[in-house]
Amino acid sequence: MREVYKVDHRLQIVGAIKRNDSATLQRIYSGNYPKVEALILKNSGTKDHAKDIFQEAFLAVWQNVKQDKFIPQSESSINGYLYTIAKNKWMDVLRSQGFKKTITATQLAHFEIKDEENNGIDDDILKDERLEDVMLAFKNLGDACQRLLRMFYFEKMSMNLIAEELNLDSASTRNKKYRCMQKLRQLALKKN
Amino acid sequence: MDDLHHISQEEFERIEAYLNGSLSEEDLSSFEVQLKNEEGFASKVEDIKTVLIGIETQSLKAQLDRFHDEAINNSTNASNSETKVRSLNLRRIAVAAALIIAAGSFWFLTGNSNERLYAKYYSPDPGLPTTMGDTDNYEFYEAMVSYKQGNYKDALKTWKDQLNTKTKNDTLNYFVGSALLASKQEKEALSYLLEVTKQDHSTFKNEALYYLGLAYLKSDNKEKAIEYLKKSNATQAKDLLNKLD
Repeated sequence: MREVYKVDHRLQIVGAIKRNDSATLQRIYSGNYPKVEALILKNSGTKDHAKDIFQEAFLAVWQNVKQDKFIPQSESSINGYLYTIAKNKWMDVLRSQGFKKTITATQLAHFEIKDEENNGIDDDILKDERLEDVMLAFKNLGDACQRLLRMFYFEKMSMNLIAEELNLDSASTRNKKYRCMQKLRQLALKKN
Repeated sequence: MDDLHHISQEEFERIEAYLNGSLSEEDLSSFEVQLKNEEGFASKVEDIKTVLIGIETQSLKAQLDRFHDEAINNSTNASNSETKVRSLNLRRIAVAAALIIAAGSFWFLTGNSNERLYAKYYSPDPGLPTTMGDTDNYEFYEAMVSYKQGNYKDALKTWKDQLNTKTKNDTLNYFVGSALLASKQEKEALSYLLEVTKQDHSTFKNEALYYLGLAYLKSDNKEKAIEYLKKSNATQAKDLLNKLD
């Protein structure tokens, strides 16, 4: 029985993440941020660094789960994974030339993070120029299109519901979605 | 790059269906042939995939600062004395704020008769009896148990899922509407309740009309509220109408 429950629970959390269930995402965020903040503060970073690094890591974890590149066995394995990605990202910052100039050599010697070479975790899933262009374009897209596309692709609402919400029939909703998509793609190309 | 750009609605929808995994077996195999043979098609598909990921990622990214504030608020009761002092102060501020809000909402409630009437007349639909061993629609009744326990979120999750395949089902629409209304999402409840009222033979029609009236009342749309309450035969509806006129 216990095994069955575990499997079920595991699927539930993966499903919730893939559905973008906001309560689940919030719980993962709140449960993990303090640890990452403590790590970065202890290692020459500020709260702003912590927030940026954590959010980058959070998005990477979410995307890796979505694309089945990381299949968590439980919620605690997500937590560990998120922590490792954040740590890797912070190591990258510390190693970067720009950052080294701002801290002294003695500080460098006291890093508490151990550098584990190549732990095989893909934290660069969102580092893609085209993707960044699309994201920027989406941010700048008109409100109506933004809302429509968000309902489809983020909130995963059904066609019927969206059509009702917009007071349109489903054929015009589909057409509107297509036109918003075209607009977004054009905008993303111009940004290049 | 220009080729990548020109894409018809039909082609877009086909690619989208492929990426969602919702193509039929037959369509899937012809799609895969095209992927292999048509030059440039694979990169078109890849590009649409990137665009879809981009929309989703930016949508989530836009929410992260809200998550962050929430996370920070939750961790203020950490154990060192400095934060304790600070959180005590915060508590005092919170208490003061609560008092101000309470005073304000007292004014608001007395000032807004629609809100007051709603509070007086609204009570959630008690739900359907859930008997043990009712196996033909296990999930539905499982959700009904959640609903009755006030766990509207879980109930909604199941019922909304079921609605995807039975969009016109009056029972589902009625209880999704009821659960939304009970969790103070009256605006979202409207479309579901409306669907029920369109079905003349539904056993839920009168109740749906009544709750629809209440949902409009809560949204401060008195005209619509009256319109729907008038159509309902429920006794409370008549009662409430008298108060509204």
